[in-house]
Amino acid sequence: KVDEREQPTTNTVEEPLDLIRLSLDERIYVKMRNDRELRGRLHAYDQHLNMILGDVEETVTTVEIDEETYEELYKSTKRNIPMLFVRGDGVVLVAPPLRVG
Amino acid sequence: MSLRKQTPSDFLKQIIGRPVVVKLNSGVDYRGVLACLDGYMNIAIEQTEEYVNGQLKNKYGDAFLRGNNDTRHALYPVCDLISNFCTSAPRRGKSSEDHFEFI
Repeated sequence: KVDEREQPTTNTVEEPLDLIRLSLDERIYVKMRNDRELRGRLHAYDQHLNMILGDVEETVTTVEIDEETYEELYKSTKRNIPMLFVRGDGVVLVAPPLRVG
Repeated sequence: MSLRKQTPSDFLKQIIGRPVVVKLNSGVDYRGVLACLDGYMNIAIEQTEEYVNGQLKNKYGDAFLRGNNDTRHALYPVCDLISNFCTSAPRRGKSSEDHFEFI
């Protein structure tokens, strides 16, 4: 039975959280549950992915389906927040800001 | 692949660098090269592409996927390795469904 995750004694493998540390003070993109996205500057984070984000733009996306035509109408609502605490359990994905691809 | 038990370090060394698909319970797929992961199944993927039905977004560089949510991450093609590794990740004691089951 494996009781605990062993950490490698030599740091030949970086943890994903180490790589998030490289994004400190950079603008990042965060995908949250409930169809929310955040774009802001990462000031702090912890192992739960609680984060402090500054100068944030939050985008909430909703889909309305027309009952007759079954058309999907996507709406997004944005708001700006100067400083934001994000609770980690809502975070799905963290990445550098999206670039056009 | 053999079925012997491996230490977590050995497991990590084997699967890092391989192409993977991370499938979330929400129905979104993330495809890319596995950069690293940790004991909580936090995952870093390079050259990530996000698929919802069709292709939605391209994320170049690293994408970090949070482990231990009530999403479940199935890593392909490394399912065989994972079944040797473990059946649950450490509990954080926050949510009721906070462990992974691997297909």
